Amino acid sequence: MTCAEFQRELPEYLEGGAPQLRDHLNMCPSCSGLVASLESISREARQLQASEEPSPRVWNSIEIALRQEKLIREPRPRNTLVPSLFQRWGAMAWAVPVAAALLVVVGISLYQRPSSPTDARQRTAGNTPAVTAKFAGDPSDEQLLQEVSRRAPLMRDAYERNLKDVNDYIKDAQDSVNADPNDEEAQQALIDAYGQKSMIYEMALDRSLP
Amino acid sequence: MIIAPASPRFCNRNATGLASVVLVAITTLSLAETKKEYRFDVGPHAKVSIVNQFGKVSVKPSPGNYVLVNATVYSDKVEVDQSQNGSRVDVQSHLLAGANSDNARVDYDVLVPADSNVEMESATGPLHAEKLHGDVEAEGANAPIDVRDIAGSHVHVKTMNGTVTLTNIRDGHVEIDSVSGDVILNSVTGPLVRVSSTTGRIQYDGDFGYAGEYRFNSHSGNIDATIPADASVDVKAQSVRGQVQNDVPLQPKVHTSFLVREGSSFAGTFNKAASSVWLRTFSGRIHLKKR
Repeated sequence: MTCAEFQRELPEYLEGGAPQLRDHLNMCPSCSGLVASLESISREARQLQASEEPSPRVWNSIEIALRQEKLIREPRPRNTLVPSLFQRWGAMAWAVPVAAALLVVVGISLYQRPSSPTDARQRTAGNTPAVTAKFAGDPSDEQLLQEVSRRAPLMRDAYERNLKDVNDYIKDAQDSVNADPNDEEAQQALIDAYGQKSMIYEMALDRSLP
Repeated sequence: MIIAPASPRFCNRNATGLASVVLVAITTLSLAETKKEYRFDVGPHAKVSIVNQFGKVSVKPSPGNYVLVNATVYSDKVEVDQSQNGSRVDVQSHLLAGANSDNARVDYDVLVPADSNVEMESATGPLHAEKLHGDVEAEGANAPIDVRDIAGSHVHVKTMNGTVTLTNIRDGHVEIDSVSGDVILNSVTGPLVRVSSTTGRIQYDGDFGYAGEYRFNSHSGNIDATIPADASVDVKAQSVRGQVQNDVPLQPKVHTSFLVREGSSFAGTFNKAASSVWLRTFSGRIHLKKR
């Protein structure tokens, strides 16, 4: 099974199905890192206290942000991943699809975008680049920086610096939400922080990267 | 020791050699720099997309219903791909083998009908758009971005490091995302103006229009807003860990959505409170000033 095939089945795996995918996870550190990040987010979301349903303004803001990032286009039918996540994680599930969609899109982009025949052959053969340890706990960031280093070595420092700043932003925003889950502004700040990180990933992988 | 002066023949030979070298250099540079021009006739509300890797993109209004693209290509490591489908025009810099940020630069000067919707990208920039009333999207990781004299449109800007300057944007739906680049807004008004930054500074000078919603938030970048005496605003400002300073005599609000703490937040109305202004930062400083 290739990484691309695994990621097509990923939503089913996250819902507890597709046990055959575990074999790929045992062999592929990149995909296992991606799944670990998604599971960490869902654990953090479950620890948040239950709260009242966010106001319509919050939902509207989330939808606007996701549409801007082109993470959603059409309303999903009821039997897809998003409603089932709401059933699983309750009222705080709003935070999960935002972060999960961000990470899944980034993971798919990183693995399905061979920018040279050499890269495509390496990915097909299952070779994965070595992951250095500068961004402990977030293999996606380190993989992104490796991609930046390959495409534009002079830009790596700028991307690394900005990723660090945005990760600090996410941490502070998450701490605020944890301190008061009912704080709508803290929730909006967390969405904004993830939006900033999503933008860095887009720029790094987009054609406009030097 | 006596140094004999150079003979006239020797001087002439050296001058000729130097002139030859200069001539060759100029010729070489001229050959490397190629100017291309493309013209596209379009209908109303054309969609124009300029995607560049290195170099500037400048978009201004054209006097007629056509798009005119002037591209200056600086080497043979990059070529310009262009296509038209109806009123949709796409221009893209196509990097060839051996291209890098030094040798693959293209500068675009583009004229478009004023009602066109424009999308422009360049990692290094600069990006510039002016005097349009169609939607403008500008994106560049390191690009300085300058948008001015736009009315009644959506203006969307994304950058990582580049400085963003918006001037005289009227009745706009403005959304700016900058990670570390500073955002400078002069006379920017509209039903929605949203600026999001991580470390970049946000600076606003204007009256916040009428009946608009303005939302500026940053993680650690400072937020400075300067308003005239006739501005009509309902202001909330909060710095979670930083300081706030208010020089405007606001009428205090009875109810706010957060606890107002001296030095770290304030809220109030000024004049008729027509526009809603929300300034928030985690650790930056907020300063509201009166012009």
